[in-house]
Amino acid sequence: MMATKILWNIMKTKSSNIMFKRWESSEKRVAMHDPFVTQPKKNKKTYLEVIKMFEDQDNRRRGHVEFVYAALAKMKEFGVQKDLEVYKALVDVFPKGKFIPQNIFQAEFMHYPKQQQCAVDLLEQMEDNKVIPDTEMEQMLLNIFGNRGIPLRKYWRMMYWMPKFKNLSPWYLPDEMPSDTMMLAKLAIERITSVDPDTKVNVWQTEEIEVSLDKTWIVSAQSEAQKILLSEQPIDEPLVVRGPYDVYLRDQIVTYFLLLGKTRADPKDDRDPDDVSDIEKPPGIPGYIGSTKLPAVKCTVHEQDDGTIVSVCATGTSSRDSLLSWIRLLEKYGNPILSTVPVIFTLTAPPNDLSIQETQPVAQDDASEKTKSNE
Amino acid sequence: MALFRNTSIINFCKTYRQYSVLCKKVNTDLCYNKSCSVIVNTQRWLFWEKDRKGGYNTEIKMSNWEHLKNGYKELKKELKLFGQEVKELFEMDPVLIARPGETDVVWCFNDPSVLDKFVTTSDSDHNEGFSSCSFEMSPAGRGNFHGYLDTRVPKDGRIKKAGYCGIRSKIIRKSFKRATTYDWHLYNTLVLKIRGDGRSYLLNISCEGYYDITWNDIYHYVLYTRGGPYWQIAKIPFSKFVLGSKGRLQDKQTRIRFDRVTHFGISCGDKIDGRFNLEIEYIGLEFDPTHDEEFAYEMYRTDKYIVGV
Repeated sequence: MMATKILWNIMKTKSSNIMFKRWESSEKRVAMHDPFVTQPKKNKKTYLEVIKMFEDQDNRRRGHVEFVYAALAKMKEFGVQKDLEVYKALVDVFPKGKFIPQNIFQAEFMHYPKQQQCAVDLLEQMEDNKVIPDTEMEQMLLNIFGNRGIPLRKYWRMMYWMPKFKNLSPWYLPDEMPSDTMMLAKLAIERITSVDPDTKVNVWQTEEIEVSLDKTWIVSAQSEAQKILLSEQPIDEPLVVRGPYDVYLRDQIVTYFLLLGKTRADPKDDRDPDDVSDIEKPPGIPGYIGSTKLPAVKCTVHEQDDGTIVSVCATGTSSRDSLLSWIRLLEKYGNPILSTVPVIFTLTAPPNDLSIQETQPVAQDDASEKTKSNE
Repeated sequence: MALFRNTSIINFCKTYRQYSVLCKKVNTDLCYNKSCSVIVNTQRWLFWEKDRKGGYNTEIKMSNWEHLKNGYKELKKELKLFGQEVKELFEMDPVLIARPGETDVVWCFNDPSVLDKFVTTSDSDHNEGFSSCSFEMSPAGRGNFHGYLDTRVPKDGRIKKAGYCGIRSKIIRKSFKRATTYDWHLYNTLVLKIRGDGRSYLLNISCEGYYDITWNDIYHYVLYTRGGPYWQIAKIPFSKFVLGSKGRLQDKQTRIRFDRVTHFGISCGDKIDGRFNLEIEYIGLEFDPTHDEEFAYEMYRTDKYIVGV
């Protein structure tokens, strides 16, 4: 009886001691080491260094799936998400040869599923970031997973579709978007006015107008047809400056403004006697689904339903003053009618404070910060 | 026991024959304003699909009495439609040829009533994201698909990616709620008159079939917009459309069955956060005799069990 009691006591103290020790060590002694976080500079060089460090650490590449997932998540932080070389370095982390299936059963039932899924996720991230792989990557994947691997299928699908859609857009944009806002605005205005190949895009400085307050640049576009349309505008009816409107060049947004005039009255009766488009379709003749009548179109592209577009511009500050300078510059360069015709500015304020929803309820200190910023 | 069995059979009918007249479920396509706060989940079915909507709970619960009343109201319209159909059957000859180079307008958005034939969807409808969109008349008097695209992912540990908005035409029906399809076999080109904001949009042509593997078949193509105040006319041959199922491009590509088109839609999901704005004047069809391409994507012979598995 006594002996069992003693034994019980020993066991009790020991186990609790061990529990305590474990708890203690988990609290204090395990230090998290994330080489991606501890890097002082975040760029491609340090990113590749971290990958190299992992490769040198362990011959058997233990934990490489976890490492690749962690590395994929950190790509944006290092600014390397569009770099093929980095993706190749990551694929190189997988050990070669081990994952190649040796018989049909292994091939059919997804040999090393975690590793294959990880490689597929890597390729998917490439696809999302519009990075097209190359044949070297195919060789690497073949050496890792063999030609029956799921990542290989993903690779072949990517190489079939991505080059097909790469240059599909009718409006060419360079791979590297210019960082200068003026060059970006010029690209945007050129794209907008590509309807009329006659359009000339000018870059003016507001310094040319002495009274202007904002010293900035103006990218303005006007074609010969628009000049004529502007000169034919009635003098008593005001022109309207409308905007700001957005145009997207990939993920860059450029704000532009329009100078709108009145649309010309429809010409009275110059109907072509041979025109058969107006004849009602006699019943009994088969041949159409829906309706055959298209909405009417004006004779020049610049006459749209909101009015006649006389000129398009983007300015450095998008302010009212810079737009006023734009009107004066238009007047200076070949549109003398603007000195007599009144111009109305109907500019809607850009919605700067978009309400942002949050998944979690907003924390208290967050709310207090917001009130502070309001003050 | 017999009674129990009966009800279970009725329940079965209710669940699996969504488009039947007997079924009490109302498709949310018809009344989409309802905000649905809880979604069941999006399960992946390995062998068969239980539900056309893929587990998204879009039905509206209704009492029997309400159902009867609605049915009675509908009866008048349906009879009228049926009469029209019978009349057409006797009068009409089959449509045999399309006039080359002329556009036949399917939807012209000059009239607000045409907008009701479309439904908008975004990821925030099912608590799967924060995008929002609407399809309304623009100040210029055209259809305007606009909203805010947001690629932030809700922190629920289930969703990996977010950020889509879309419009889709409603199911077309014959009288007495029989489902039918668009028949576009005369044409080979899609014509859209649009005014966008420089983003690229996705055109979706759904060809849902009878069997569950075809329920999510959608043909896609990209609609590039110029941006700016000028209208543009986009003519896209049907041969260029690629087959996808649940948004994944398929290995074995086929061309569209033009006589089995069930829905037409446009969606925005180009992974760029921000406002988007697409004005549409009309969506039409055209027969272009110079375009003799049947299908634009070549297929390759590969080893066994590599493609399509």
